[in-house]
Amino acid sequence: MKDACLYILKRLFLLLATMILVSFLTFLAFRLVSGDPVRTMLGTEATAEQVEALRQELGLSDPFLLRYVHWLKGFFSRDLGVSYSYRQPVWDLISGKLTLSLLLSLLSFALIVAISIPAAIASYRFTGPISGWPRTILNQLGMAVPPFFTGILFSWVFGITLRLFTPGDFPGFQTDALASFIHLFFAACCLAIPRIAMTIRMMRSSLISEMNKTYVLTAISRGNDRKTVLRRHVLKNALVPVITFLGQTLAELVGAGIVVEQVLGLPGLGRFLVTSITHRDYPVVQAIVVILAFWVVLSSLLADLISQAIDPRLRTAALAKGGTA
Amino acid sequence: MKKKMNSYLLTGLIITGTFLLLALIGQFWTPYVPTDMAYGRFQAPTLSHPFGTDNFGRDILSRVMEGAGTTFFIALLTVSLGAVAGTAVGAVTGYFGGLLDDILMRLNDALTAFPSFLLALLIVSLIGPGKKLSVILALGLVFIPSFARVMRSAFASLRTANYVTGARLMGAGSSRILFVHLLPNTFKVFLPAFTIGFNNAVLAEASMSFLGIGVTPPDASLGYMLSEAQSMLRAAPWYAIFTGLTIVFLVFGVGLIGEGLQLMEGEEG
Amino acid sequence: MKRKLLTLTLALLTLAAVSIPVFASASRRASQNELAIGIAQDFDSLDPDYMTAAGTKEILFNVFEGLVKPTSDGDIVPAVASDVQRSEDGLTYTFTLREGVLFHNGDPVTMDDVLYSITRRWNSDDAAAILPALAVIESVEADGETLVITLSEPSNEFLAAIMNAYIIPAGYTAQETAPIGTGPYRFVSREVQDSLVVERFPEYYGTPGHVDRITFRILEGADGLVLGLQSGALDLVAHLSSDQVIQLDPRDYDICEGSMNLVQALYLNNAAAPFDDIRVRQALCYAIDKREVLAKAFDGYGTPLGTSMFPSFSKYYDESLTDYYTPDLDKAHALLTEAGYPDGFEMTITVPSNYTPHVNTAVVLVELLKKAGIKATVQPVDWSTWLSDVYGARKFQSTITGLTSDNMTARKLLERFGSQVGNNFTNYSNEEYDAILAQALSASNDEEQTELYRALERNLTENAANVYIQDMADLVAVHKGLSGLTFYPIYVLDVSALYWES
Repeated sequence: MKDACLYILKRLFLLLATMILVSFLTFLAFRLVSGDPVRTMLGTEATAEQVEALRQELGLSDPFLLRYVHWLKGFFSRDLGVSYSYRQPVWDLISGKLTLSLLLSLLSFALIVAISIPAAIASYRFTGPISGWPRTILNQLGMAVPPFFTGILFSWVFGITLRLFTPGDFPGFQTDALASFIHLFFAACCLAIPRIAMTIRMMRSSLISEMNKTYVLTAISRGNDRKTVLRRHVLKNALVPVITFLGQTLAELVGAGIVVEQVLGLPGLGRFLVTSITHRDYPVVQAIVVILAFWVVLSSLLADLISQAIDPRLRTAALAKGGTA
Repeated sequence: MKKKMNSYLLTGLIITGTFLLLALIGQFWTPYVPTDMAYGRFQAPTLSHPFGTDNFGRDILSRVMEGAGTTFFIALLTVSLGAVAGTAVGAVTGYFGGLLDDILMRLNDALTAFPSFLLALLIVSLIGPGKKLSVILALGLVFIPSFARVMRSAFASLRTANYVTGARLMGAGSSRILFVHLLPNTFKVFLPAFTIGFNNAVLAEASMSFLGIGVTPPDASLGYMLSEAQSMLRAAPWYAIFTGLTIVFLVFGVGLIGEGLQLMEGEEG
Repeated sequence: MKRKLLTLTLALLTLAAVSIPVFASASRRASQNELAIGIAQDFDSLDPDYMTAAGTKEILFNVFEGLVKPTSDGDIVPAVASDVQRSEDGLTYTFTLREGVLFHNGDPVTMDDVLYSITRRWNSDDAAAILPALAVIESVEADGETLVITLSEPSNEFLAAIMNAYIIPAGYTAQETAPIGTGPYRFVSREVQDSLVVERFPEYYGTPGHVDRITFRILEGADGLVLGLQSGALDLVAHLSSDQVIQLDPRDYDICEGSMNLVQALYLNNAAAPFDDIRVRQALCYAIDKREVLAKAFDGYGTPLGTSMFPSFSKYYDESLTDYYTPDLDKAHALLTEAGYPDGFEMTITVPSNYTPHVNTAVVLVELLKKAGIKATVQPVDWSTWLSDVYGARKFQSTITGLTSDNMTARKLLERFGSQVGNNFTNYSNEEYDAILAQALSASNDEEQTELYRALERNLTENAANVYIQDMADLVAVHKGLSGLTFYPIYVLDVSALYWES
């Protein structure tokens, strides 16, 4: 029990370390990229004096490390700073978008898990009509269709033709919760489809290799039912690599949402991130990147904990490490 | 185990081979000059222009043939870069574990969270715009984390396998165990990751041309053409359809090769 | 799921090929007297003193007003002031405050508010708020209901400059989140990167708006706006490209054509080889057929230009300069040979990648220049990089952009080519030009100034300062049944004139 606590504590510490690391890297990146936030804010009509004065006001003429320390101080006192282009506190700008992006990610993640795992088991068990070539073609096609293409496609079919939602008009949950959910659902599908195909592929391979292991063969040769072996023993073990993969998928979903957000007109975090980068709105980018880092580390932590719950060998290994490191 | 050709691998090789052949021809000869704007805006496919023309009145077939080579070249190099670096990281962290694992995986997480758009901007600023190297580097870095993660768990799950313990008892060094005993056995995890990565790279290159890396207009690449085509879906559906199908064709071919190789490894049993 | 996807792909192929009628939900908005307008980029600051993006000013024109304001005919008329008097010597302007003007919060506009608003933009510590064009002001004094502004020298552009000093409540600090002005529409709400909502201000002193409530939807990316129109989510979108317009169903939308009022050109760095040689620049002018550019990249829309002036400034615009260089590859070749480039040369065209029209223009130019033996390469950069490297640091060979005048005067278009001017990013340097410019700026008489401006335009053309291309067409998609769209000579969208036909 003590070891487990220690392990969790260590992971939480690493979580914080990653966030700080990524914030520093972002800070460094902005020092090196071309483009200037002040010029971007003031546009083409600014005079040299205005540029200089604003630079002073924003503290951009301070030394690099000092600025970073300043940001870090703010971060620990829960102050993410003020956006350059909007002149509003960063948190006020991103909190709503964060909720939307999280909902989108979780919804598409739920779709991925709910569809791909049963589908993979089914595709393994039924060697009937969707085996061999048709299965492979469907699977490869699923992976080959890019999300932005699916996004356009859904807009046409479900949006413009069937009028199930209105592309470019996300009502917001306060205004119309049902319409918002439908809109979000289609966006989640766009994100989920290629990942469902990937997960099925992964899960299937995992099942096949697990079924060929000696313990399974022994169990079956002893007269156990194939189905029972699959359900009782194989499934659990086959899930371990898939969970790692799913954890990574969950980590990537928030960032990957940007294309779909753009095509379907959702005011999410990914879109805001890209716009803020093009405007060199450092405080906003900094905040979003740290949030993404948190999300990424949290996803892999969850994946690890679940794998360990399933596979005791991993748990022992992790605890041994947690105790020593 | 006897390795024998199977129908997936064969079909995959034929598709990819055809694609590469067309792309290769496209580097020397195309039906029309790919940048020539003389054929009328938004002409639907005809016998003389089987893929139709685009918004500038250029022949789409010629552009697809020219762009296919660029796309294949960039996608293959970026994924290879990501795969080699990612496998190295995955092998080290998965096999040895410990502090090195913690540090490298934290960097890996940081790289996952780091926006690829900003990374690309950074690389353009450092290397300069208009170079193919910058897009390969930018995208290659983006692909490292996913490979590293997948390979790490593959190596970690194998390190306790009987034959590894056996090799260790017989006095094999770490590098020998890693390269000779473990690496070949991670192949079946590696393959799908590589196929998926290749697919993503084809499309990701398009988003980078926005920053002036990868291809710059008027040069063609499939990803760039598809992203152009999607905004003209209604005026010229053939533009999106033919470039989209070409991409699907390429990715499909590569996917089948992956599938076939995996089968050859005796997975299906 | 995968099978569904396959079906969908097939469905798209069929659907995209046939035209789909759109049953827009515009009728619902029409019956509720509401309007949804699509815009391509987000607003920057909503504080009128800090907003710099042209797209923000374009829309907030309906929320904020100065002492005077522009009309669609290009005149400047009293707004928050009811009357303006200019003294004989042109040094003193006397504004009478209009009675009964209310702010959107219901408070009446007082002389304190006016003084506060003008001082902030003329003479305050807040550098970002300063309007450089107000530097000619010597003093600002209030006398009861009149405001007297004295200038240090006569200026024909003063009224156009003071137009941008928007009147806001004195000491009000929440403009960023809850802007308050005096215009025909008042702010309701805003969601960053999503929308801005305004409603009709019933107590407006002038002609009030017709539509009760207007939502501006922000849809970045070329597809968003088109999808929004096709799905009926939007009633009006301005600044569309010809490629976007042809995707719309003419049964649902009318396309109105105005002009963007900008000078789109291949701007050359006159200080960098080979463009420091007038013969090379002239050769480019002969090599580039601007009508060909319009035909290839703009479907024929747009007005060809030959100098830094567009037709809306009819008084100054010299149409004869448009065809000063008629496309002639032989002449181009002769000039290049003379300049020492018989086999042409290589050049880079840097373009801001977020402006598709400029990128498309560059793509066509590459083809046209190829015929003249010049190998041009397009180099897209993001907007921020463009601003700092090209516009700011002048590290470029050639670039494509559109230069505008954000107030109602032609001065800005010409002043920037003076050799000592800070924003002369093309490094154009011509003694004769500087001399005429100095004369023109100090001219007290309007007629004389007009003549001098025309001389400046001719100078730019004759010396081939840049390769002038066009004033881009402003294509606006307007839903059937929506009327009242008026084009202004400056970049604004007047929503108070829009109304649904009953």
